[in-house]
Amino acid sequence: MKLTRRTVLGSAVLAGLAIASGSLSSRPAAAQDIIKIGAPFNVTGALSSVDAPALNGAKVKVKEINDAGGVLGKKLELVIYDTKTDPTVIAATASQLINQDKVPVALGFTDSDSALALGPIFQSAGVAFVTPGATSPKLPEQIGSEMFLACFGDNVQAAAGAEFVLNKLGGKTVYLLRDNSTEYTTLLAKYFEEAYGHGGGQIVLRDDYKAGDKSFTAQITKLKALPVKPDVLYVSAQPDDIGIVVKQMRQAGLTQPIVGGDGYDTPLLLSVGGKAANNVYFSTHAYMAEDSTPAIVTFFHAYKAAYNTPPENAFAALGYDTVGLVADAITRAGSVDPAKIRDALAATQGYKGITGSISYAPGSRVPQKTVSIIGVKDDKLFLAAEVTPNWIAKP
Amino acid sequence: MSRMQRFLVVAAGLALLGLFSVAAPALMNDYFVRILTVMCINAMLVVSMGLANGFTGVFSLGHIGFVGVGAYVSGVLSLSAADKTSYLPNLPAWIAGLHMGFLSSTIVAALVCVVLAFLVGAPLMRLSGHFVSVATLGFLIIVNVVLINADDYTRGARTFTGVPLQTTLPWAMGWLLLALVVLARIVYSPKGRAWRAVREDTIAAQAIGIDVLPTRLSAFVIGAFFAGAGGSLYGHYLGSFSPSGFYFAYTFSLISMLVIGGMRSMTGAVVGVIVVSLLSELLRNLERGFDLGIVAVPPLYGASQIVLGIILILIMIFRPSGVMGDLELSFGRIAALLHKGRKE
Repeated sequence: MKLTRRTVLGSAVLAGLAIASGSLSSRPAAAQDIIKIGAPFNVTGALSSVDAPALNGAKVKVKEINDAGGVLGKKLELVIYDTKTDPTVIAATASQLINQDKVPVALGFTDSDSALALGPIFQSAGVAFVTPGATSPKLPEQIGSEMFLACFGDNVQAAAGAEFVLNKLGGKTVYLLRDNSTEYTTLLAKYFEEAYGHGGGQIVLRDDYKAGDKSFTAQITKLKALPVKPDVLYVSAQPDDIGIVVKQMRQAGLTQPIVGGDGYDTPLLLSVGGKAANNVYFSTHAYMAEDSTPAIVTFFHAYKAAYNTPPENAFAALGYDTVGLVADAITRAGSVDPAKIRDALAATQGYKGITGSISYAPGSRVPQKTVSIIGVKDDKLFLAAEVTPNWIAKP
Repeated sequence: MSRMQRFLVVAAGLALLGLFSVAAPALMNDYFVRILTVMCINAMLVVSMGLANGFTGVFSLGHIGFVGVGAYVSGVLSLSAADKTSYLPNLPAWIAGLHMGFLSSTIVAALVCVVLAFLVGAPLMRLSGHFVSVATLGFLIIVNVVLINADDYTRGARTFTGVPLQTTLPWAMGWLLLALVVLARIVYSPKGRAWRAVREDTIAAQAIGIDVLPTRLSAFVIGAFFAGAGGSLYGHYLGSFSPSGFYFAYTFSLISMLVIGGMRSMTGAVVGVIVVSLLSELLRNLERGFDLGIVAVPPLYGASQIVLGIILILIMIFRPSGVMGDLELSFGRIAALLHKGRKE
């Protein structure tokens, strides 16, 4: 054989493939003393700013549990896949977790779209899936008995936001702006409208924009042309957009409080919004700072020690709690049988997490939790209120 | 090889493939079945994209627009009545009353795309070169905006969910074979020669009496038919999708498969899909970190996209016209190879 460029290239590729396939087949050493937990997350792609912290939080909890002796005498192991914010990859990964890694339970994702792409495959395999951060309360109905939320539903945080606007900010009139391009932002706006109306507030103007819009001039002009100035601006936005929205509103001279949901819980609010972010309030899962509850502070330091950065947002804490919730269910199930773990999960009562206590009412797979309202003052976050809403819109 | 022999070989091959596709779920784990299914769908899309882009020289960036239309049309049609009332409450009564099976909704979706391609293609196929790429890109953007704003039919940019999961490997493989057989018959017929003549030299083609517009339009429309059908398969594979799934990212992933494999060959299109799909799956698993005994590589999420990009660049440097160039895998070629092998 002549040594041409083509043969060299060809044999290099072949060698690479051989090494790769060898390492792939040898890796799953099915040890008896390990419990595998599936962990698909969108570590790269549009959702990485929320998924990556959730995954890191989950890893912190796994290490903590293993250092304390593990579960049922076995070590926990997260089987992590990067699903790249791509539904085709998510579907393939779901099947890989079930058929190749044979995980008895899995956790992952912070958005409903990813959970919807994966859900049906777990449902038909009868393996429970807990999402740390997909807040659509419709999700368990859409997928079925195997889908659990470790966070509150959007109807709960919208209700908490509405009560906060009415009682703490004294806002009788609201301007409602929503991103009409995602499930999360449209549902959040709808639930807010219902709860706020129920509490006696009045929405003076509704307006829409689309994720990725860079100019909000049209919306702001309409808002400024209103005969009465609304007391509060409620903006239902995704993490990527909130910084720009806030900045442009402040530049246009709108000084009212801006209120929103857990999509605001991203470093982008302060880094893009800057000074404009003052007087912004948002509902989220936990207040991540060094002056928070002792449990959060402990987590804060453990996370900082592991990754050299403080937890980016509350999704880190949710990832941490989700692993705890699953480990608790495995302990109570007393086995790694998927059906038993599912039943134990559904029977969870009063699991003490750092983002609040998790209980599932019979037949419901969305927990009732307290909502933290966080405000921005002097370019810093502070805990403005803890709300357990009285009236919640139906999912 | 005589005609009879060739027929027997083809029949045996098809029977084997059919048997394999049906038996696959029992033979190997569901993960590989899924990879194969997606590869079949993508191969169908890339081969049909190659008609206009490769054989006719109309480099269209709008192919995914038809895929999106196909997915949504078939999705709306095959949604169950209960799901229609809960997800699409504002659907006009005559559509809400329609409920179709998988095959019929796929065919309707493909036909809708044919009509659309005819309307869009009639003005656009008069353009050449870069102009047609930009114009078809405009079509893709229009489709995306319409999908997002036609709330009553598509749920806007929110996830369209509840589509029955009916795309199995036999379905996907069956459609791919149909596409390959039909397209191969056309591409290597006088019609196909007219396409290539238009691609190589528009003026010379006109001089020998080839009408450029209908020639290009036919390639565009036939490609759209299979794009629509492929969209339906894709939608029924995922079960839930949103307009952002049918946009630039998917467009460029299909184009890279086409260019890698070789734009001027149908075999190339299929090879491109196989190479890119297998590489990205392999790299996606490798980036999770591995242990070779001597060295342990830690997980590096995102590395797979970078390495894939570098490999694609290398292929383009060493094989600028793609892996296959304009070669096809045909009976004659296989026979010649076997013969040569025996001689050596």
